[in-house]
Amino acid sequence: MLVVYASTVIASRNTIYYYTTSETLDIETSKNERIKLGGFVVENSISKDGEFTSFTITDGNKDIKIIFDGFIPDLFQENMGVILDGVFDDDTFFADDMLVKHDNEYVSSDGETYNVENYSK
Amino acid sequence: MMLYGPLFVWLALSIFGPYDVTQGVSSKLLYIHVPTVWVAYLGYSLTFLYSLMYFFTKKPKYDSIAVANAKSGVIFTIVTLLAGSYWGKQTWGTWWVWGDARLNLTAILLLVYLGYVASRQFNKDLAKTAKNSSFVGIFGIIQIPILHFSVIWWRSVHQQASILSQETVTSGDAPMSTDILITLLLSVLLVTLVHVFLTKRFRVSNDIMWDDYLNPKSRAKI
Repeated sequence: MLVVYASTVIASRNTIYYYTTSETLDIETSKNERIKLGGFVVENSISKDGEFTSFTITDGNKDIKIIFDGFIPDLFQENMGVILDGVFDDDTFFADDMLVKHDNEYVSSDGETYNVENYSK
Repeated sequence: MMLYGPLFVWLALSIFGPYDVTQGVSSKLLYIHVPTVWVAYLGYSLTFLYSLMYFFTKKPKYDSIAVANAKSGVIFTIVTLLAGSYWGKQTWGTWWVWGDARLNLTAILLLVYLGYVASRQFNKDLAKTAKNSSFVGIFGIIQIPILHFSVIWWRSVHQQASILSQETVTSGDAPMSTDILITLLLSVLLVTLVHVFLTKRFRVSNDIMWDDYLNPKSRAKI
């Protein structure tokens, strides 16, 4: 019981595992302060330059340019949600750790595509 | 043999079932990860119910059933954590995320019920042990609603619910292709059957322990 209570309290103090791109406007981060930043990879923004991969992420409101240097999971692609760990330098976010966040949709190759808009007609 | 039938059909379904095109073959882990955790919840819910009944009636039968459900629940929690961890490696790119509420709370859930099962070995007085276990069985249930809502309360890596979400329940449409949904629901049914036969098996050994405790002379001691 105590364990459950304690973990709930600890978890609720750290309710935010990552910041969205818009939320970074409201927080002050000093240089070298590591934060986690989450967003969706913008289409046609991925480019590779040596060991660095640069791309842009967005939450639909604010775009942030990312320079990434680290392990890229197989699922990394355009429009995918990612969570990055790194530091801000001016408006660019330098990250070296990436998690790909998959949504709760499952679409098979020969099953019909699920689309919310199809149902509203 | 009733146990192995559903088990093999379930594994065959998981191996040959349809998968999500974006995530690839690893998304078949859905048929392992989701049914096992649901059935673990079912097991712990039954542990709660029978612990409550034992607490008020002190009938050994109820303690036996409560423990059997918790044992099976522990097995399925271990399976869901292993499958989930491997799935995390395949999609997120990591085995474990320490900042994720659902992951950590599931690990705690396992520890609580592992403790519940293990602590029964410590005391020879079975009636006393059963009474103590029933407390854990009753209060342990609080974790399950917290776990269910953890992905809504705390923003993190673990995806939102696909089936047991308000959106799906009110609209009647799960965000899944029909073939994936059917395979998932069949898997849930099969794992439930595995659970039923597994608990039956565990109950037999629990009943023997109670019989030994209540009628110590009825059995020849070696």
